[in-house]
Amino acid sequence: MSEELKPDELLDRIDHTPASGNWMDAPVHIRPGMYCYAAKAESVQTLGLPNARTWNPIEDDWKLPENWQEIIHNGIKERLERFRTFKVFMDICVRCGACADKCHFFLGTGDPKNMPVLRAELLRSVYRNDFTKAAKILKMIPGGEKLSGGRPMTLDVLKEWWYYFFQCTECRRCSVFCPYGIDTAEITIMGRELLNLLGLNIDWIATPVSNCYQTGNHLGIQPHAFKEMLEFFTDDIEEITGVNVEPQFNKKGADILFITPSGDVFADPGTYTCQGYLILFKYLKDKYGLDVTWSTYASEGGNFGFFTSHETMKRLNAKMYAEARRLGVKWILGGECGHMWRVIHQYMDTMNGPADFLEEPVNPITGTKFENAKSTKMVHITEFTADLIRHGKLELDKSRNANRIMTYHDSCNTSRGMGLLDEPRYVIQNVCDNFFEMPPNTIREQTFCCGSGSGLNAGENIELRMAGGLPRANAVKYVHEKFGVNTLGTICAIDRAALSTLMEYWVPGVTVSGIHELVGNALILPGEKERETDLRCDPLPGMEEEEDE
Amino acid sequence: MDITQQLEHNREEILKKWFEFTIKSYPEDTARFFRKAKNKFDNPVGSATLQSLENTLKLIISMTSELDFQDYAVNKIDANQNVIENALDPIIRIRAVQNFTASQAVAFVFELKTIVKSIVKELHDTNDPLDREEFGYIAFDHTVDLVALAAFNRFMKCRENIFLLKATEAKRRIHSAFERAGLVTELTEEELLGSNKS
Repeated sequence: MSEELKPDELLDRIDHTPASGNWMDAPVHIRPGMYCYAAKAESVQTLGLPNARTWNPIEDDWKLPENWQEIIHNGIKERLERFRTFKVFMDICVRCGACADKCHFFLGTGDPKNMPVLRAELLRSVYRNDFTKAAKILKMIPGGEKLSGGRPMTLDVLKEWWYYFFQCTECRRCSVFCPYGIDTAEITIMGRELLNLLGLNIDWIATPVSNCYQTGNHLGIQPHAFKEMLEFFTDDIEEITGVNVEPQFNKKGADILFITPSGDVFADPGTYTCQGYLILFKYLKDKYGLDVTWSTYASEGGNFGFFTSHETMKRLNAKMYAEARRLGVKWILGGECGHMWRVIHQYMDTMNGPADFLEEPVNPITGTKFENAKSTKMVHITEFTADLIRHGKLELDKSRNANRIMTYHDSCNTSRGMGLLDEPRYVIQNVCDNFFEMPPNTIREQTFCCGSGSGLNAGENIELRMAGGLPRANAVKYVHEKFGVNTLGTICAIDRAALSTLMEYWVPGVTVSGIHELVGNALILPGEKERETDLRCDPLPGMEEEEDE
Repeated sequence: MDITQQLEHNREEILKKWFEFTIKSYPEDTARFFRKAKNKFDNPVGSATLQSLENTLKLIISMTSELDFQDYAVNKIDANQNVIENALDPIIRIRAVQNFTASQAVAFVFELKTIVKSIVKELHDTNDPLDREEFGYIAFDHTVDLVALAAFNRFMKCRENIFLLKATEAKRRIHSAFERAGLVTELTEEELLGSNKS
C-alpha cells in the first residue's frame, strides 16, 4: 500500500483551476439565474410560429420535432442564400481575437463562450461542417473532421446555441473593434431565428411579441386602459403645474403621430419621461399650434419581433406605418426607445418602406429638415427637441434640475445603431447645469450595454443581467465617486428599467432618468403655477424647507 | 523580523501570487484577459479583483500587528468585520453573480495562508507551533480566518441583495400600474418596497 498522505500534502493537491480542454467538447450547463423561461405555447401559437408546446430548458427533453436537424440545416441554407452578410460573416472571421474582450457579457461573467468570436463559432462550427468544401474533403481523412473546425449539429450543440444566443444583447460593441466589420449581433439574430424554427424562444420575448401583435403593445394593455394611463399622468401633471396638458388620441389629420415604447406608459421611471413628452406637446400646441396625436392602436414603439425573426419584426413594424396612413399625419415622431430605432434606421426602408405616403419630416416650428429621416419619415424626439432648443423655441428653467448631477448612458441601438450621439447630450446640457461624461472607452460608439437588451430584461436571469451590466455600472461608479453623479440619463425604455436595478446592486445612490423627464421639469408651460415639486413629486431644489414646514 | 514585517517586506510578491491564484479560478481563456488588467474600464473584473485584494492585504497586515488576544471580544470582531467586508466588497460582489459556488467564491481568502507559508522563510523552516506563535503566525492565522468569515458574510449579503432586487423588480413592474389604476389603495409602493432600505 502507498504511504498515507499528511493533511498538508493532501491539501496541496487540491487544484482550484477549472478543467481545460477544447471548448467544443465541454458540454453546456444551463445554470439557473442565467437563462430566461421558455416561451409559453399560446404566445408562440398566436404568432403562428412553429412547434408551440410547453417545454422546460432544464429538462432533458426539449420536445423537438423529429426532423429538427434537417430543419436547422435547411434553415441555415436558406439564410446563407438570402442574407449576403450572414454568408460573409460565416466565412471571413480569422479569429484574431480583437472582439474577445469587448463583450460586456464576457467581461462580466468570465465565461469564454461569451467572447463574441466564440459565440459566433458555436454556429460557425456547424456551418463549416455542413456547408464548406474543406470540411467535406477533410472528413474523408480519419480524424479530419476536427481539422476544419467543424462539428455536427447535435442536441448538446443546440442547447449550447440556445444558452449563449440568449446571452448576447445584440449590442454590437464587438463589431466596432472587428477589423473585418463582422457584426456578431447579426450572427445572434440568425441564431435566434434558427432556434425559433424549432419553437425555442424565451417567454420574455414571445409573450410581448404576441401581445403586441394581438392587442397593440407588449403588456397587452387594451386601448381604453392605455388612454386611462395617460389621463392619470395628465392629472398628476395638473397637480404639479396647474396646467391640463390634454393629450389627443387617434386624431385624424394631426400634424404628427407620436409613438413611444409602452414601457414609458406603464413602467417607472419611464412614466416620468412620458409626462415630459406630454408637457412638451402641450407647450408646442399652445405656443406654436403644433398638433400631435397619440395612437391607442400603434401603442408600442418597441419591437421584440426584432429578437425573434425578420418576418416577425416586419409584422410589428408595419402597424406604426399603417396607423400613420390611417390618420393621415405628415410624419412620425418617436419617443425615447432603443431597438425601435435600430429597426427604423437599419431595416424599415427595405422592409416595410418606402413610406412614400408620408411627408419628408420638417420641423414646422423651426423649418429644419431631418435629412436622416427622409426615407423612414420617423424622427427621434431628442433630435426634435435639440432642434427646438437650438432655435430658441423652448423656455427652460434649468434651476429645477439643479439637484441632478448627470451622466449619460448611450443606448447601444441609438448610438451604434443610428449614430445619435450629440443630440441627447445637447438637450441634457440645456436643461441641467451639472453634466459629467463617463470615461471615453465606455461611451458613444464604445458604450457598454445595460446587459438586459434584446429581450433579456427578465427577472429569472438576474445574475446574467447583473454580470452583463458590470462594465457599464463600473463606469457609472467612477463618475459617482469622482464627481458625485446622482442621475444616470438615458434614452431607452429597457435602459430605464434595467439600469435602475443595476444601479441598486452596483452603485446605490444613482437614479435613472429619461431625458424628457428633465425637459418636462425645466420647461415653463404658459400659464403654469409656481411648481413646488418635480415630476416625481419630490421637492424642487430650494423648495425642500418649505416642504418640511 | 516578525510576521508583520515579513508580510510588509514581501507584500508585492504575496499580492502577485494571491491575484494569480484568484484569477486562475476563471477558465484559462478568460484568465488570460483578466490578468492583463491595464485599463480598469476595459477590464473591470481584473482591476477590481486586484484592487480589492490589495486593500484587503493591507488590512490584514495592520490587523495582524494589532491583534490582541486579550481583547479578542465579540464586539471587536464585529467592528472589524465591517471594515474587512468593505475592503472585500468589490471582489465578492462580482463573484456573487458569476458561475461560482459559495465555497469557490470565497476560497481565495484561505489560499493566502498557503501563499504566505511558501514565501516567508521563517515559516518554511519550522513546523513547531511554539516557534510559530513567537513569530506571530497565530495572529496572522486568526486574521485570515476573520477575513474568511467576513467574505462569507458579504457573499451572503450580495446574494440576498440579488434576490431582493428580483422581488422588488417584480413588485415595481406590476404594482405601480395597479396602483395608478386605483386597484390598490391600502399600501403605497413605497411602503411595500420599504424593506429594501432598512
